[in-house]
Amino acid sequence: MDRKRSYYEDVALFDSKAKLFWFFVLMAFLVAYPHIVPSNSYIYMANLMAINIIVVLGLNLLVGFTGQISLGHAGFFCVGAYATITLMIHAGLPFIVALPAAALISALLGFLLGLPALRLEGPYLSIATLGFGISITKVIGKMQFFGGRQGLHAPELTIGSWNLDTDLDFYYLAVGLTVLLTIAARNIVKTRVGRAFIAIREDDIAAQTTGVNLTYYKTLAFALSAFYTGLAGGLFAFVLRFIEPEMFTLLMSILFLAMVVVGGLGSIMGSITGAVLITWLDLQLRHILTIPYIGDWLRTLSQSWFSITGVSNIQYIVLGTIVVLIMVFEPLGLYGLWIRAKKYWKTWPF
Amino acid sequence: MKIRSVLAIMAALVLCVFSAGTALAQNGVTDTEIHIGQWGPQTGPAAPWGAVARGTGVLFDMVNAQGGIHGRKIVYHMFDDGYNPAKTMAGVKELQESSTGIFAWASGVGTAPGLAVKEYLASRQVPWVGPASGSPHWSEPPQRNLFGVYPLYFLEAKTLTRYAVERMGKKRVAIMYQNDDYGKNGVDGAREELASHGLELVEAVPVELTDTDLRSHLLRLRRANADCVLLWLSPTHAVMSVGTAKAMNFTPQFMSTSTCSDFPLMIHISKGLWEGVITASFGELPTSGSPLMLEYRKAFDQFAAREERWGVFFTAGMGFVEPMVQALRNAGRDLTRERFIEEMEKIQNFQGILGNISFKPFDANDPSSRQGQYEVFLIECLANGDARRLTGWIDAR
Amino acid sequence: MIDFIQMLLSGVAVGSSYALMGLAMVLIYKTSEVVNFAQGEMALVSVFMTYLVLAFHGWPFHLAFPAALIFSFFLGCFLEWAVLRRAKTPNILSMIIITIGIEMILLGLVSWKFGADPKTLPFPIGPYDAFLVGDLFISHLEIMTLVLALVIMVSLFLFLRYTRFGMAMKATQQNPVAARLMGIRVNRILMVTWGISAGVGGIAGLLIAPTVMSPFMMWDPMLKGFAGAVLGGMTSLPGAVAGAYIVGVVENLFGGYVSTEFKSVVAFVIIVVVLCVKPSGLLARHYVKKV
Repeated sequence: MDRKRSYYEDVALFDSKAKLFWFFVLMAFLVAYPHIVPSNSYIYMANLMAINIIVVLGLNLLVGFTGQISLGHAGFFCVGAYATITLMIHAGLPFIVALPAAALISALLGFLLGLPALRLEGPYLSIATLGFGISITKVIGKMQFFGGRQGLHAPELTIGSWNLDTDLDFYYLAVGLTVLLTIAARNIVKTRVGRAFIAIREDDIAAQTTGVNLTYYKTLAFALSAFYTGLAGGLFAFVLRFIEPEMFTLLMSILFLAMVVVGGLGSIMGSITGAVLITWLDLQLRHILTIPYIGDWLRTLSQSWFSITGVSNIQYIVLGTIVVLIMVFEPLGLYGLWIRAKKYWKTWPF
Repeated sequence: MKIRSVLAIMAALVLCVFSAGTALAQNGVTDTEIHIGQWGPQTGPAAPWGAVARGTGVLFDMVNAQGGIHGRKIVYHMFDDGYNPAKTMAGVKELQESSTGIFAWASGVGTAPGLAVKEYLASRQVPWVGPASGSPHWSEPPQRNLFGVYPLYFLEAKTLTRYAVERMGKKRVAIMYQNDDYGKNGVDGAREELASHGLELVEAVPVELTDTDLRSHLLRLRRANADCVLLWLSPTHAVMSVGTAKAMNFTPQFMSTSTCSDFPLMIHISKGLWEGVITASFGELPTSGSPLMLEYRKAFDQFAAREERWGVFFTAGMGFVEPMVQALRNAGRDLTRERFIEEMEKIQNFQGILGNISFKPFDANDPSSRQGQYEVFLIECLANGDARRLTGWIDAR
Repeated sequence: MIDFIQMLLSGVAVGSSYALMGLAMVLIYKTSEVVNFAQGEMALVSVFMTYLVLAFHGWPFHLAFPAALIFSFFLGCFLEWAVLRRAKTPNILSMIIITIGIEMILLGLVSWKFGADPKTLPFPIGPYDAFLVGDLFISHLEIMTLVLALVIMVSLFLFLRYTRFGMAMKATQQNPVAARLMGIRVNRILMVTWGISAGVGGIAGLLIAPTVMSPFMMWDPMLKGFAGAVLGGMTSLPGAVAGAYIVGVVENLFGGYVSTEFKSVVAFVIIVVVLCVKPSGLLARHYVKKV
């Protein structure tokens, strides 16, 4: 079943009828989702998830596929958000032009950051990217042109004659883009570029000897990753309709990385599940005290050993524990678990 | 066949998950309950400000214990947004669009989170009383559903500067400010007041939230030879500035905002160096012996968590919502949002633990129709953490 | 001129606490190639435990501080033994992520226990008492930090070079398999390294806490220490200290003469520039990986 007979079978988008079927089920679900949820806030949450999926796809191209760490993706996210709004307000561009343009600006920055990254690895690369992420928000916050620390309010969002003023409208835009970008990411990794990325991840010197142009592909990975993240940033600016440089913190970069890891390094499906799960946890963990039994237990624990005023910090503990457990026991994340489950059931009951 | 059954199971599951809530968002008032929401950071670097939101909760507990408001109890929904506007928006939408809805929003900590949800609340005309930040964005331009209480940082800066120049004869005023909306408002206020005396700021040094070393900042002030320094900073940074100044034998008069007016805390973390610092204050101090404050203190002992501290942030959280409770009482049994907004507008010379609060019928060109309090007074920190009152209430407009 | 000297002095003073954090990170990186993002939070836990015994249980200083160091040591050992050692694929990336996870857990625990109100650690020396010579100043605490940083650096350096244990650490770093074949208990070496490193970090934390103490107090020193260590080369102890002092001095000069707004990021810009020229930092030998 799983044996590929030709190259085209390997790059085919859907290698089996079942996959095609499930893809359409998913699409139908995505279209129906806003109409079956009880309230608008679920749509807002889905919008945030869609945006995070785009970021994580981009970050996974860099971290999971090419093996280059980045602790500065909040910076690209910030650039995308600011560039989109600024291009719309000051250059008068329509959203449909401003968004890709902003993503390209972000990609350019990604390319520039990729240049020093050619010679760096491990801790050196992580501090360089981290520095980028921190510095860029400071620079933007300093410039009055970008609204300084008072932030910027997003203008009206229209595409042609379609005025996207509700979460529902935005949902279709964000989810549509997410689906497109997911397919694009999948195509990237299945083709020449993706194989080059993976070769670099496995061993950059070996890759070079087999004819992979390191300079080209490493900077390409950074640029592509920044493009995705910038695009997501542009969308994010319109989810909140308000941006401010201090929103794009190191913690945000860390959360993005956590999404990649939890979902599964080097996996497209993993990127999606990781982003969905962590976004959901990030938004919903504050309800932890209302879960039956566990909530009560945590409350008594807080009263006797910890403090009830700091009880919200449990969300850090839960998130951290998930990240540690996944990295320790299943380095491929949720995707790895899925593969294991599949393997187990394939031979069931033997 | 197999696929179809899987699909059916999935559809059933999805329906189960989503049919849990009902589809209609209500206005947050039932026969027995009034639902009120608030966001406040309980995690992250801004978490010290989360005490505001917890203070509000204790005030509501007290109101409920006294029998509620016209037979209704206040149900208080406070959530942690970690000072992250995206999370603020998510929480506000979730509560606002839940099956019961939120009748009105109380306080809400921070400028950036508030700005993120301002338009959303305006578009639904949900009342919002007393954002916990002295930013001018709440009342300029005024917005029908939004009632500001916190006196503007701008006015605090004007009041302090005026006192320094007129009463203390300071000529070389400088400012250290947090590099954000809060700090910039302080700079603007000080500049404007100094200009009216024909003076200028001798130095304005921005401090980043993440800075842990303020030596070069203080060196600049010393080089400028300032004799009065305004500290528009967080408590930690303000203490660090005073300490570093002491280490370099630089002894101007330090002045600071209401944010740093929690003297017992400031004396404790500065190990006594905060003595002699003058700050603004927009409400009675937690240690004051007024009957209302004593009543709140009793509620605090009864309802607050064991490790809670009776500090300025906590009582501010109670003060910001006093006009709201008053308007809810005045609105009577027949409570609607329209009615509530009308009652808010009727509040004149209201006196709780904060200053004098008055609103006016909505006027799009008059910020004072939606900014309730303009007065602050000045206090000086004593060695034991007590405060000495320097002035009466001052309206610096 | 006075200002310039003062800025140099301040830079060295603040560089000392960066240097301690940098040393702690380099120790771990040197033996196990793990970039330990939890370093700051490990120190944080020790600091808050010290606070607990000092402020609530009335321990005297001479008992509390040694106890804090012993606690740090065991915390480091425990984390290595319980978490890091269990990792299935111990490559650089997954180790970084594990330490980030540990960081979140420790941060969460401390904030949960102690709340968010700012505090300060009781300390025998007033944090703002200073020596003044004309217009120059340096506080007693800073001198203490400076001396401790140098003493710790030198003793670690001697320890690594001249003791059996130090040799074993070096061997472990260079080739764990060969080291094990030579009869070195690699696991134990790693564990103890983590312990020592946590102790050094804990000292840094205890010296910072008299001035600032909140759950986020260690972020900046940790990042700056890391930056300094990278600048000097992650595998060199003198490099880490030199790098940290460079970061401190440059920051202060930049803050004094150019702009305080970009003061906290100027370090990172320098690092990127330096790394472009010397990808392994200033003082480390460039190490070419063989395929």
